[in-house]
Amino acid sequence: MIEARDVSVAIGGKRIVANVDFEARPGEIAAIVGPNGSGKTTFLRALSGDLGYSGEVTVNGRNLSAMKPIEAATLRAVLPQATTLSFPFTVREIVRLGLVGGRSGALPGEDQRLPAPALARVDLEGFAGRFYQELSGGEQQRVQLARVLCQVWEPVLDGKPRYLFLDEPVSSLDIKHQLIIMDIACDFARRGGGVVAILHDLNLTAMYADRIFVMHRGRLAATGSPQQVLSDELIEKVFDCRLKVGVLPAANMPFVLPQSVC
Amino acid sequence: MADHSIAGAAGIMATAAEGDRSRRARLVVVLLCVGLTIAVLLSLTSGASDASAIGVMHDWLFGALPGDAALSARDRLIIHDIRLPRIIMGVLIGASLAVSGAVMQGLFRNPLADPGLIGVSAGSSLGAVAVIVLGSTMLAPLTTALGTLALPLAAFCGGLATTLLLYQVATRQGQTSVATMLLAGIALAALAMALTGILIFMADDRQLRDLTFWQLGSLGGATWQKIGSVGPVIVLALAAMPFLARGLNALALGEATAGHLGIPVQRLKYTAIVGVSAAVGASVAVSGGIGFVGIVVPHLLRLLIGPDNRYLLPASALLGAALLLLADAVARTIVAPAELPIGIVTAVAGAPFFLWILLRKRGVIDL
Repeated sequence: MIEARDVSVAIGGKRIVANVDFEARPGEIAAIVGPNGSGKTTFLRALSGDLGYSGEVTVNGRNLSAMKPIEAATLRAVLPQATTLSFPFTVREIVRLGLVGGRSGALPGEDQRLPAPALARVDLEGFAGRFYQELSGGEQQRVQLARVLCQVWEPVLDGKPRYLFLDEPVSSLDIKHQLIIMDIACDFARRGGGVVAILHDLNLTAMYADRIFVMHRGRLAATGSPQQVLSDELIEKVFDCRLKVGVLPAANMPFVLPQSVC
Repeated sequence: MADHSIAGAAGIMATAAEGDRSRRARLVVVLLCVGLTIAVLLSLTSGASDASAIGVMHDWLFGALPGDAALSARDRLIIHDIRLPRIIMGVLIGASLAVSGAVMQGLFRNPLADPGLIGVSAGSSLGAVAVIVLGSTMLAPLTTALGTLALPLAAFCGGLATTLLLYQVATRQGQTSVATMLLAGIALAALAMALTGILIFMADDRQLRDLTFWQLGSLGGATWQKIGSVGPVIVLALAAMPFLARGLNALALGEATAGHLGIPVQRLKYTAIVGVSAAVGASVAVSGGIGFVGIVVPHLLRLLIGPDNRYLLPASALLGAALLLLADAVARTIVAPAELPIGIVTAVAGAPFFLWILLRKRGVIDL
């Protein structure tokens, strides 16, 4: 489990995240939502070990601030929003970089063995020899997903709790690719991994998240299941616009419909 | 059943090899070893004198050839005291410049970074010229204390200061702006050259002649003594570079992602900067500014074996060494019996190549 207690982050003397409590459990997707500038990405960067913070973060019971980069890398993988490359790597070479830090317990030869199944998982069989820079945005994001899966997938299958951090993983993708990426994240969680995802699309969030953390002005505004959190009142207040929340009766799944003032 | 599983395994092997250029890269490294050996032997036997290198080598290894009249004391002197140190120096400097280029490109995440282009060599030159010109006056305590190490050390400090400054200026939150890097490099190089100019203005006639030749770049001054003072620095720096390869590969994805993959990014960056400054500083201290090796060699190799630094770095060392020996052979023979500064040869060949890279990449390189 990942537990954050009373986490605050300041950048350049300015407090971006204040007193956030958070937890992500193996087997679940924890979604962080909130308007632009609410501190979501800053909070995730603190969880990733990129930024200093006050408060306490533990990963599987171990204190994050005492971990070396290589130790953190064995416990969680981070998928950035988009990755640009300046050198002509092939897809296979990129995916193999998931193992570059030497995943603890990795067997020799895994960098030969693992890329192919990881690419199959993101539906990119036959892409291994292609150049990354020549792929579409959706394909590039799936290659990066295959890379982070290389980092944490096998230990999860062995029953070890590992985590996947997704920072707006689908923001620039079409609807089909949004579903592909989120289904893979969902699959990872069903097999026992934990997922922490920053999402902008509230409907995707309602569909996939087991638990939602709503951030507003650096603080936690609400937390709970989609049914608990997604209400007209809260969402309108946090996002400062007119929204209607309905419920799909068959699945008891909330959905959010923006309202125009035009 | 057995047949089927073997076929299946072969199928998996075929997919596994796709997009994996490591076998080709290993082959290229082996071929480059052979190529460098040939280049060394050719350099040893060719030159203004027709001294027999085979005779000399036979003499070293097994004693004089029977009835060998050609092997004179003069031949021995030419091979042992002139050609051999020059070749060793060429190999060391070619390898050091090419590897430094590759490492800088990995560090700045940009194929255009080159120690010569972005002012690191100019910074090293400034340090070296300061020692040459002021060594007997203002910096006398330094030169007496350090002896022959003063020159490479000053060049190293000049290069290090420039690289650190450049990195500070061009990098914001882990992202290096190429435009800022190139422009800041030009500014720093101009500043270093201006300061060097002041020193040259202060130099006497004898120093002036040394400086002019040295600034254009030459292996002509190679001696065993110089190899003794800068050789260990270059060898140490080169020996450290392969340990950076995996980290530099991860860095291609960005600093944050490299950190997420478990790479200690700060340590990697500082090791790379110190290593490059040491290698470039030592090279500049003995041979002056030899440009474009650091940009041409890694670029050619990336086309051939891909950007994986585990192979790119050793291959760059080998090709850089071989190409510099070739350039030196041209420099020694094209206007024989006089000698062209090798920096002119590498610039004449390298500058058009650099333009070609820019033209090929136009629209791809994000300035």
